[in-house]
Amino acid sequence: MFIASSFLVRSGSADLNLQAQLVWGTNNEKPDDPKLKEVDAIVAEKLRKVFKWRNYFEVKRQNVSVTAGTPKKVKMSDECEIEVQYLGNSSIEVKLYGKGKLAVRKTQKMSPSELLVLAGDDKDDTAWFVVLSQPAK
Amino acid sequence: MINHATELKLQAYLDGELPPGEAKAIADLLQSDAGAQGLYHELKAAKSLLAGNELERQLPESREFYWSKIQRQIERVESTQAGGLAEPATPRWWTRFLAPAGVLAALAVIVAVALLSPEDGGTFLSLDDSHEIETPLEETSSFSFRSEAAAMTVVWVDSHRE
Repeated sequence: MFIASSFLVRSGSADLNLQAQLVWGTNNEKPDDPKLKEVDAIVAEKLRKVFKWRNYFEVKRQNVSVTAGTPKKVKMSDECEIEVQYLGNSSIEVKLYGKGKLAVRKTQKMSPSELLVLAGDDKDDTAWFVVLSQPAK
Repeated sequence: MINHATELKLQAYLDGELPPGEAKAIADLLQSDAGAQGLYHELKAAKSLLAGNELERQLPESREFYWSKIQRQIERVESTQAGGLAEPATPRWWTRFLAPAGVLAALAVIVAVALLSPEDGGTFLSLDDSHEIETPLEETSSFSFRSEAAAMTVVWVDSHRE
């Protein structure tokens, strides 16, 4: 299960600083993979409140700056890619691509404490997530 | 022997749902009527059993996520059934007149909305730009829900994998 978490920080009215995480979550214990890290406690706790999985592991993290009107793609894995665009007025558009095909597009007005999560299940009773949020400054 | 109306009042008395006047009357009845006393004690015992032994079910995930999945499954089954059971309706005489009128009305709405839509090609059919979702792939579906407890909006992407 892969969780991609992106943290949005408004640095002005026309751009966003984006932090993206690719995370794996499971009910099993942490696999013996040095690439996997524990997801930060706040995000993990929020995910546990909603989903049944107990353990969330970060696979990849990226920082991206997005300018209003200019979408930017972020490769999360070989098969998963997101495209984020800041629409202004605290709204963002997120496109999720799987194997190069657009799987879902979501537009959401964000608030500082809000998480936007794109998610789906995976093999062996696991699931992946894309989380967008504005972290505490 | 007490009647059915009194039985109901006894139950309401036990649940504390009677107004003061009727509650007083039932309390007086319980002092003098052995049948009423017997039923009252039976009801009281049943209530304590239910209250003390009701099985509490814990969901493995949040309530919102759980019910969203059920709702999605119902919608999928209903759409499948509707597609399989739908029979071609016999056109009525008035549909010959209403159908062209409906097409004209729809065209008028489309033209009006197109004229009013933003020049930058923005979406104009979104009811709420804070909650717009689109799933273009046929083999993929999605649903959205919000968890107030986690301050989280979730778009669950279902690839219909078996």
